[in-house]
Amino acid sequence: MPENTSYMIAAYVVAAVVYLVYGGSLLARGFRALRKDR
Amino acid sequence: MKPTISSSRGIIKWGVGLTIIGLAALAVIYVLALAYTPFEVRQGAAQKIFYVHVPAAWSAMMAFSLVGLVSILYLWLRDERLDAFAAASAEVGLVFSVIMLTTGPIWGKPIWGTWWTWDARLTLTLILFLLFLGYMTLRSAIHDPAERARFSAVVGIMGMVLVPFIHVSVYLFRTLHPKPIVLKASAPSLPPEMLRTLLLGFLAASVLYLGFVVLRYGLARHAMAELDEEN
Amino acid sequence: MNSWLRVAAAVAGKDIVIEVRTKTAILSAVVFAALVLIIFNFARDASLVSTSVLAPSVLWITFAFAGMITLNRGFNLEKENAALEGLLLAPVPRSAIYVGKLISNLAFVGMVEAVALPLFVLFFNVPVWSILPGLLGLIVLATIGFVAVGTVFSAMTVRTRFSELMLPMLLLPFMVPPLIGAVQTTTRLFAGRPLSEMIGWLRIIALYDVVFITLCVLIFPAVVDE
Repeated sequence: MPENTSYMIAAYVVAAVVYLVYGGSLLARGFRALRKDR
Repeated sequence: MKPTISSSRGIIKWGVGLTIIGLAALAVIYVLALAYTPFEVRQGAAQKIFYVHVPAAWSAMMAFSLVGLVSILYLWLRDERLDAFAAASAEVGLVFSVIMLTTGPIWGKPIWGTWWTWDARLTLTLILFLLFLGYMTLRSAIHDPAERARFSAVVGIMGMVLVPFIHVSVYLFRTLHPKPIVLKASAPSLPPEMLRTLLLGFLAASVLYLGFVVLRYGLARHAMAELDEEN
Repeated sequence: MNSWLRVAAAVAGKDIVIEVRTKTAILSAVVFAALVLIIFNFARDASLVSTSVLAPSVLWITFAFAGMITLNRGFNLEKENAALEGLLLAPVPRSAIYVGKLISNLAFVGMVEAVALPLFVLFFNVPVWSILPGLLGLIVLATIGFVAVGTVFSAMTVRTRFSELMLPMLLLPFMVPPLIGAVQTTTRLFAGRPLSEMIGWLRIIALYDVVFITLCVLIFPAVVDE
């Protein structure tokens, strides 16, 4: 593997974390809102 | 038209669905980019950051344009739901520009030898981020909803008009200065695996943007509707 | 048309009179500009980087930050706010109010620049006499750009809690095109380059001014009206 692999991994991890944290929090709030009875 | 709880629930459901699909698409892109695409000879592994960075940039630009356009609509129609949508798009745009701003320098360091360079694209990335941040910060500082909506719309529209000027002035500014050393960021013609993955990346980022925005908007509408029903 | 001009002149005049009496905005901005110039003088190593390389940037950084300080105070007076609200009750053309505010803000920032520029020439020993008309023209052109946008933003941020922070945060991206153009042009002016090398930048700044003044005139009512 080429030697700058660590950069590639770092970027992919950072992006994944941001997407999952934000997406996850939105989904959590969404499910909470849907579960609330009217 | 006042947002109702039932219609908001519908929107939230759409948002949840699209977000889940978007995240799944993102996972597919990750697999494709990491396993399926070939390594680029000169840049090596770091070049693959391209598949994450470029689609995120696309979504950030899309988010930004929508904030501007919806802001115009808001000032014209004064519908609070338009303001809620603009705010949702700005928040989501902020997230995508954070991804741009983090993956960009991580890509730049091994390729250009430096974390940051004031070239046209990176500078525009930073400006976009600052505009989103300014928009969100202003919103948090104003408590009257109507005033907040109006002021946000003003910033959104002015930001949209600013972007072409940033493009032109920073691009001209950079052509006068030596470019960062050695390698260019994108090859003139991409081999098919790379192109396919990139295009799928755009699709995934678009679906993710849509999912995030619809969900965020739905949550805002739901909150507005709940507030209404309490009164 | 006549009443429009009268409103604009009245708004500008009232602002200028208040400022001349209280001197809040201009005084702090002038002191700030002088401090910035002095600090820049100490912050550089003259043997490593020649003055002529840094000078254009120093000048425009000083103008930009002093300008923001001036704009922030411009809307901050209590009497100011009440007077504005009173004015808005009448069916006065909002564009006239904006232009009036723009003129008074330009006057304030201009006064600060008029003090900062000679200080700059003094500290940095830059020969400006031969290029003075061009330099003054550029200063007017670039200042109009960021003051036009700053007038709208300061009207919005004055009501927020951290207005001293909010205004620069919102305004900074908008200062980038006129600042880049101004520094590029100033560099060439100081180096005695021909006009042809500067005309491109000047056109960009001029276009920026036209576009944003028009936009601000159209959008100002959204800031002050319900």
